[in-house]
Amino acid sequence: MLKRKMLRDMGRHKTQFISIFLMAFLAVFIYAGVGAEWRGLQKSADKFYAQANLADAFLYASGFTDEQAEAVGNIPGVTAVERRLELSAAADFENAPALTLYFVEKNEISKLYLLEGAGFDREDGDGIWLDKRFADAHNVTPGDKIGLTPGGAKLTKTVRGLIYSAEQVFEYGGETLTPNFENFGYAYLSAKAFPAPGMLTYGTLLVTADSAEGLEDQISAALDGKYGVYLEQKDHPSVSMFTNETAQHKMMGDIFPVVFLLIALLTMTTTMTRIVTNQRIQIGTLKALGFKQNVILRHYISYGFFLALLGAAAGLITGPVSLPYLFYPSMSSFYTLPEWKPVYAPAFCWVSLALVLLCAAVSWLACHKLLRDTPADTLRPKAPKTFRHGLLERTRLWRRLGFNAQWNIRDASRNRVRSLMAVVGVFGCTALVVCALGMNDCMADLKVWQFETVNRYESKLTLSETATREQTGAIIAAVHGEAVMEGQAEIRAKGEKKSCALLVTDHTTLINPTDVHLRPVTLPEEGVSVTLKMADSLGVRRGDEVEWRIYGAEGWTASKITAVYRDPVDQGLTMTRAYFEELGMTFRPTAILSAERVTEHMDGVDAVTSTAGSAAGWDDLTEAMYTMVYLLILAAAVLSVVVLYNLGLLSFTEMEREMATLKVMGLKSGKLRGLLLTQNLWFSAAGFALGVPGGLWLTGVIISFSGDEFDFPITPHFITLLISFAFTFGLSVLVNLLFSRKIRGLNMVESLKATE
Amino acid sequence: MKNAREIICFSHVTREYDTGLHVLKALDDVSFSIGGGEFVVILGPSGAGKSTLLNLLGGMDHVTSGEIYVDGQNIAGLSDDRLTEYRANHVGFVFQFYNLIPTLTALENIALTKKIVRTPVDAREVLESVGLKDHAGQFPAQLSGGEQQRVSIARAVAKNPTMLLCDEPTGALDSETGAAVLEMLQNMSRERGKTVIVVTHNEALAEAADRVIRIKNGRIREVTENPEPKAVSGVNW
Repeated sequence: MLKRKMLRDMGRHKTQFISIFLMAFLAVFIYAGVGAEWRGLQKSADKFYAQANLADAFLYASGFTDEQAEAVGNIPGVTAVERRLELSAAADFENAPALTLYFVEKNEISKLYLLEGAGFDREDGDGIWLDKRFADAHNVTPGDKIGLTPGGAKLTKTVRGLIYSAEQVFEYGGETLTPNFENFGYAYLSAKAFPAPGMLTYGTLLVTADSAEGLEDQISAALDGKYGVYLEQKDHPSVSMFTNETAQHKMMGDIFPVVFLLIALLTMTTTMTRIVTNQRIQIGTLKALGFKQNVILRHYISYGFFLALLGAAAGLITGPVSLPYLFYPSMSSFYTLPEWKPVYAPAFCWVSLALVLLCAAVSWLACHKLLRDTPADTLRPKAPKTFRHGLLERTRLWRRLGFNAQWNIRDASRNRVRSLMAVVGVFGCTALVVCALGMNDCMADLKVWQFETVNRYESKLTLSETATREQTGAIIAAVHGEAVMEGQAEIRAKGEKKSCALLVTDHTTLINPTDVHLRPVTLPEEGVSVTLKMADSLGVRRGDEVEWRIYGAEGWTASKITAVYRDPVDQGLTMTRAYFEELGMTFRPTAILSAERVTEHMDGVDAVTSTAGSAAGWDDLTEAMYTMVYLLILAAAVLSVVVLYNLGLLSFTEMEREMATLKVMGLKSGKLRGLLLTQNLWFSAAGFALGVPGGLWLTGVIISFSGDEFDFPITPHFITLLISFAFTFGLSVLVNLLFSRKIRGLNMVESLKATE
Repeated sequence: MKNAREIICFSHVTREYDTGLHVLKALDDVSFSIGGGEFVVILGPSGAGKSTLLNLLGGMDHVTSGEIYVDGQNIAGLSDDRLTEYRANHVGFVFQFYNLIPTLTALENIALTKKIVRTPVDAREVLESVGLKDHAGQFPAQLSGGEQQRVSIARAVAKNPTMLLCDEPTGALDSETGAAVLEMLQNMSRERGKTVIVVTHNEALAEAADRVIRIKNGRIREVTENPEPKAVSGVNW
């Protein structure tokens, strides 16, 4: 019988209960949905890495001899070593795409993942195993022949199979930020396929070991320090990029549900308190009838329990089967994995259960106090809330405030939980909108910063490794270009070591560095300039000394930091050619920048990228971000409508008598609506004021997971704040309009008579 | 049908309320007794302590001092849990404002007792006995005041309690409906052998009672036994 009572009570308060259900649903939906998504990514990647026997460490040097490989292989704990040669080549297609060729010794470490065709054969000197996504972009299938020009030599190989590589979950596409598989790819070949076997020097050493801990020191000892770079698996660009991405998703999946959970709990508290207070006489009656305390308690707790249970169950079932598939399409344009499948985790159940119990606990808190009273007390109408005059009421200002403000101040301070809920709700809404639009701003700002402020060139010609001095000179003359030397370097200071980008400029006018306020600046001739993000992560400042070396070089060079600047996409150090040569190093241009639009193919050039093309690539990347932005805005809208409507309904029901009294006294409906609107606007203003910094903080947190290379400027656009403001307050007014009908239809006689 | 055995006995019962400013004595050293199956009327002006007396007897409130014996057991000393049990098995309440559960139908309100006692009277039968057979599926809001009070009495009776405690049961009803309700209550005593205690300030009802207890300012003024009580229908309202 009490169950029927519960169901009918829920029917009476459907808006509140629907919102409790909705919030519980959304909390679990997002938690489990995003949870299944990132766990799926993680598991799929881990499986991929394990299947491929991905190297635990990568060593780069000018060449590893058999003895060196053996020395590393003999280190206790090292399970296998394998060498390979990496070469970049242009493939014989119209757009001369860049292919990274891996001539591998055995293919036992970092093995290929075969999708089509025949498996890898180390005896096959004629075969090539091609990046599947590259092959798809160029309509290549197994059996086709492909022409290659690695460093000037011409090769023709037969495609044996199409593959994925565990080292290429994220493929760095040279100049573009987003992978465009028409422009680049990779391929595996047997060492036997190398055109001049006598000249083959393996520049890369792959190592697998029981543990990566202390491995570098042991290897360093075994090789006598004769190697350039040591890269642990977790620092491999593809691995770390993907790990960061997964971490970012995990964080969003953890933060957002909390917002919904809080709203669910707040709604629960206010709704249950109100129901229990309104049913005071009913509770007294049940007690008088002889119902046991815990039967009544159980009855009221079950309201929250069942709704949260239903909501959580619905979220648990639908989240993991829907949300991941919303993310995977955009993710898969960026990353390459053999499998995209959500993964369930016991945590989903535990969190759902915790949420259900929390809701039940909140119901318990709301009604246990009332149940402690004797039945006789409970049956007596509740004494009106005692209300002390606040400090404000004793001031002169109070009298000047007018009825509307006075009434609302009293009402808000008498209903603190309700007020808090309103502010928190609007806070959440504003924070979500600001965060969503803020991320948008970040993306747009970064694009302008990178492609308009910093990059002043139109074309960038990446020189091939074998380009001669004459060729370079001819190119510079032909395109009126400027030469730069770019590369990877390692930098260390105060016990921290990082890999970073290196740029050596030669009176370059087409790259325009920016200072910490993103204003164009000229970097000093002497010493090195370090990006702000790199300087922060190393804990160094202008005037400090850092040590650095080019990837592959053996000794360290100490330099003084003469400037700190900011760069959107490359974190590292910059210096002038003059300083570089002063240090005794040779300036070897790696790219030519030109303000002209270069389309023809020139000898000595590996690839040509246009700034316009890169900017378009950036837009593609941000496309994936929009899914998130829309989702956030939608969530914000649902959140604020639910909260504000609930709040309105709550205050309306609680104030029905007062409203009726005011109406009887002759106050017009419009004025009454004004009372409610004033309160809504106050709370919206408070929530908004808190929500803006909250949203910016959230943006910062999310952005911080986007990878070490990026330096996003987080400055909200005025229009973003304006839209958030309009959105929040618009909803506030909209909700108020929903109540105007209720106020007009307020039945004075009934409202004043009824006790229940 | 009167049972001469005394089943209810108040002995020096005092109930004080601490309002914070001063102590209010709602009942002051009250002693009386009531026999089984009697139709008892407690009379007194507003604020005399009638409801307090009824609440104490119904196990809904605690005494400040004194003893209340029901069937030989002192309920003044019972724990909250035991009091709940006592209320469930011995007491049927009829309130001035009916206090039906608004979200349950007439029949469901009565059937609610199945959840409380082991041997309830069949809900339909009781509903029929108060003449509301055709209103079983209606919600309280769809019933008139008199009908709601009859459902409330049916609910009290359905528990098959030893006594029915009625706090101003006709207070919210017109005199004609009120008389019908009172007649029903008297019949509960005469035909079903229940001890029925009615709190009222309507002097006229005294003629129909087996025993009349007059109370004022928290003290017993007079207890009278009525050897020849009138039927409620014969009372001149």
